[in-house]
Amino acid sequence: MAASKFPKSGDSNSHISSANHIEVTVADRPHPQDTPDNGRQCNDRPSRFSRSFAKILRKNQDYLQITISEPKLEQLPAEWWKTGVVFLWALLNLFLTTVMITVVHERVPDKSVSPPLPDKFFDFVSRKDWAFRVTEVNGMLLVTAWFLQWLFLKHKSIIGRRFFFLLGTLYLYRMVTMYITTLPVPSDHMNCAPKLEDDHLGRIHRIMQLFFGGGLSITGSHMMCGDFLYSGHTVMLTVTFLFIREYSPSSWYWTVYHLICWVLSAVGVVCILVAHEHYSIDVVVAYFVTTRLFWWYHTLANNQSLLDSPHNYLNKVWWRYFFRFMERNVRAVVPCVFSWPISLPRASFKIPCRRYSKVQIVREE
Amino acid sequence: MKEVGLWSAAEVSEWLVEEGMPEYSEALRNYDGRALLQLSELDFGNPPLSKVTGDNGRQLLERVETLRISNHMEVHKSVNHSSHHANGHIGNGTASNGKVLNGGSKNAFHSEAVRIHIPLPSKQERSHFPTEWPKTALSFLYALCCFVTTSVVISVVHERVPSKKESPPLPDKFFDLFDRVQWAFSICEMIGMLLVALWIVQWLLLKHRSIVGRRFFFIVGTLYLYRCVTMYVTTLPVPGMHFKCSPKLFGDYEAQMRRIMKMISGGGLSITGSHTMCGDYLYSGHTVMLTLTYLFIKEYSPRRFWCYHWICLCLSAVGIFCILLAHDHYTVDVVVAYFITTRLFWWYHTMANQQLLKQSSQGNPFSRVWWFRLFLYFEQNVQGIVPRNYQLPLQLPLLWSWLPGSWLPWQSLSGARVMYSRVDSH
Repeated sequence: MAASKFPKSGDSNSHISSANHIEVTVADRPHPQDTPDNGRQCNDRPSRFSRSFAKILRKNQDYLQITISEPKLEQLPAEWWKTGVVFLWALLNLFLTTVMITVVHERVPDKSVSPPLPDKFFDFVSRKDWAFRVTEVNGMLLVTAWFLQWLFLKHKSIIGRRFFFLLGTLYLYRMVTMYITTLPVPSDHMNCAPKLEDDHLGRIHRIMQLFFGGGLSITGSHMMCGDFLYSGHTVMLTVTFLFIREYSPSSWYWTVYHLICWVLSAVGVVCILVAHEHYSIDVVVAYFVTTRLFWWYHTLANNQSLLDSPHNYLNKVWWRYFFRFMERNVRAVVPCVFSWPISLPRASFKIPCRRYSKVQIVREE
Repeated sequence: MKEVGLWSAAEVSEWLVEEGMPEYSEALRNYDGRALLQLSELDFGNPPLSKVTGDNGRQLLERVETLRISNHMEVHKSVNHSSHHANGHIGNGTASNGKVLNGGSKNAFHSEAVRIHIPLPSKQERSHFPTEWPKTALSFLYALCCFVTTSVVISVVHERVPSKKESPPLPDKFFDLFDRVQWAFSICEMIGMLLVALWIVQWLLLKHRSIVGRRFFFIVGTLYLYRCVTMYVTTLPVPGMHFKCSPKLFGDYEAQMRRIMKMISGGGLSITGSHTMCGDYLYSGHTVMLTLTYLFIKEYSPRRFWCYHWICLCLSAVGIFCILLAHDHYTVDVVVAYFITTRLFWWYHTMANQQLLKQSSQGNPFSRVWWFRLFLYFEQNVQGIVPRNYQLPLQLPLLWSWLPGSWLPWQSLSGARVMYSRVDSH
């Protein structure tokens, strides 16, 4: 039995003669990995020196690396085609919403016939001209911020899929509520574009204008009335903020960022009301529907075991098949990891934004 | 085994080797059985024992103690001890009545069985579904507060409803398609009362009625609270010209109070004549009650009563349709009410049925609702899904308990439940 020469702790029986010289000594200690290797060694009968040398090398391994073959199935597959499908869904809903606004516009009662409804917020706060521009600027800022954040996320396709799905569904709900009952204009200042009774070409022109202008008054596409319940601006402000907060780290610097986004969002929503552009009920219902849908979706996505449990009521929503289609292969909670958008072959280094423990670091190596 | 006290020195030495302590055989070579039994720690302080022992003789003393006990037991077959254990450490004073169950022991280490008293939690605490009526009472108070607040808000909003001439009814798709039917609203209210009655009867028959009742009151209360908010912020005009709104009482608080009382006592139904105030349109309370009672009826009745479920579903749907047919609410009121009711119901029950959703964590967005703490208070001790067990509400055997034993057969009426399987039969 050979004793090792390399500086091992507690190895008081070895002698180190010089730094560049390995001295092999024989000691009486029984060694655990003796028998199987020794047997093999004896069969081959190589020289005594190489045998003991090999033993030294083996003994100096502090740990054994056991390679486990990577699981065949990826935990978070990208599946860009699914994102594409959902993007089309969102686009379709947005387009249909603009069509619906055009239809509803024809039915909005005139201000003289149906004056603005009594609203508690309007009683307290009188109208300010500049407020709606603030809302829209905030909205554009939030959308840009979210877009940039999304570009830098590693699992873009999954998160993008979720965003488009929620947006599409929210606009779908909005279509329904806008259509069934038409609220009158909230304020006298609103100038609704004249009604086009049978002018289909004019209507199509309006739809295009609204669609490509994004429905913003800054771009001049917000001239149609009737789309009050519920407020699309509130939906955008809330949903972008929720996504920004959900998919970003929670360290101190980022908390400041979250706070800024929250302020932008809240100020934007309040300014909608200050501008008397929507009733309070529109904003309240929009906030409620957006947050509930967002949280519902993410609870389902983060706890996939809920899908299979028999007493699960989350499955009773009508979009459960959509959900299965989108999230079937997502087997883990989407981690908050950033990476460069354009992945150069070796340059996409993963920056985990939450370091939980050493375990995580080791696993990622 | 020969009694230890009669062992010779050779036997002691043999025993030491057997026990794996050969190092003592030299030092104890002159010790016979009796001397061995009299060994103590002091002896290990002096040579020669102090030189041989590595642990102050603790191990040897333990083995000797064992020997001593088994020796004692051999001599006195059944003994009532209160302090000696086979393995040396004594628990708390309640280790009483350490009666030896198996008279001698074959193995010196397990020579005595000791009864260790573990205080069991009370039956109430042990149950997975504790009744906790105080929580149900609190929930009921919460619902009551919400009802009262709703009535107050309706009264306030009534003052602000624009008159029919000022603000005609808003364009509504359903109203365009269907003309008003006069008697439809009475049908809706009768259906509503029927569903509520059915639900109350079903609730009375449930075994875990306190838990289910708590849930019902909480959800109803919250829905009415939301309703207060939506009614208050924006006032919709009356949906139809047929409405006869009672006159406005500007500043006449006493009359308003009376109006509120009348509304509460009548339950807000027009059949009882308390539905005279206008302005409570977004969202529809009637839809809430119809939907919610149906959801609860379906949830807490056996699966095999599918006929009953279908009947209640049809009743509910017809009731809601009749609200619209009567032009008593806008379509958006009904749609929003349905949406909010179903979401809240499903949300609450999903959280209540899944233990992992009862903890607020990053992966649990459900915990971000404002009523999460209240929910935890109500559902903390409910472990698992409330089973659909039934039981007669009045505990009949209590009435008969003072009767002589010949009346015992009546006792089987208590807890008469639907037996699902052998598993359930306890």
